[in-house]
Amino acid sequence: MIEHLGEKAILVFRIGGLEMSFDVVAMAMSWIVILLLVGLALFLRRGLRQDIEEKPTRVQAMLDALMDLLQGQLTSSFASERLARGMLPFISTLFLFVLFSNWLSVIPYMESPTMDLNVTFSLALLVLVMSHILAVRMKGARRYLKGFLEPYAFMLPLNIVGEISKPLSHAFRLFGNVFAGATLVAVVSTVLHPAVIPVPLNAFYGLLMGAIQAFVFAMLAVAYINVAVEG
Amino acid sequence: MLEEAPNAVVSGEAIVTAAKYLAAAFCMGIGAIGPALGEGLAAAHALDGMARQPEAQGALLRTMVLGQAITESTGIYSLLVAIVLLFVV
Repeated sequence: MIEHLGEKAILVFRIGGLEMSFDVVAMAMSWIVILLLVGLALFLRRGLRQDIEEKPTRVQAMLDALMDLLQGQLTSSFASERLARGMLPFISTLFLFVLFSNWLSVIPYMESPTMDLNVTFSLALLVLVMSHILAVRMKGARRYLKGFLEPYAFMLPLNIVGEISKPLSHAFRLFGNVFAGATLVAVVSTVLHPAVIPVPLNAFYGLLMGAIQAFVFAMLAVAYINVAVEG
Repeated sequence: MLEEAPNAVVSGEAIVTAAKYLAAAFCMGIGAIGPALGEGLAAAHALDGMARQPEAQGALLRTMVLGQAITESTGIYSLLVAIVLLFVV
């Protein structure tokens, strides 16, 4: 198990002069997570009531409570309620994807897609592009460009470096945490008896840390978008 | 009596490997001190605030977790350097 940690199964395609390499495992695991989420959404949708008069089912009650929680968290973190309502689908999708990716590593023979730097980087770039587009749309191009000259004009390079370092640390944080957890579990599983010790360890790193990291990732996305829109 | 083994020549490659592992260990060990202290400090002060104002627990907890995540960055960077040392160099 531990020998395979640094290795990756890379599939290389050559179309004309273009060479593309794909990380097969990370892609397959991402698709598993996506299918899991879509399947769960379709399954849970059947439990929703069709009529307002109908008594809510248990599924409905649970989903209502979850949505209330998400909405409450977002409205208290975002600057305006309108922005929070608009950002709810994006942020909750990010959160759910990262959460299920982190939890996938608990299943034997499965690997978190977030263990791959490319996956976390694409998620972080998604947040970066989103925050800048929203900033341009809400502040206007003039004020957006002027924001780079704040507080003084000579701070421009510093501001640009700050913008670049945001997705870097955002991506590396998630990747580092998940990778460190997976490495630790792998090391302990090879050194100690693989049946007993890794179970609580997996529970801690897979379930608890996975949930915390997913929360942190979503909350940092909220913070970055908020700063870009506000500042 | 210590006797030199006849072919106890340490190759340069072995030295590089040893240095690699040592550097990774030092990088992680020293690099983890800062985030550990910082996160403990954040938790301690958040706990202080929670004890004083239990009704603000939710907001405090959220801010604490966010702050700890950002504090952790330096630890993550040292982890990355360690990974680069182990697998790439």
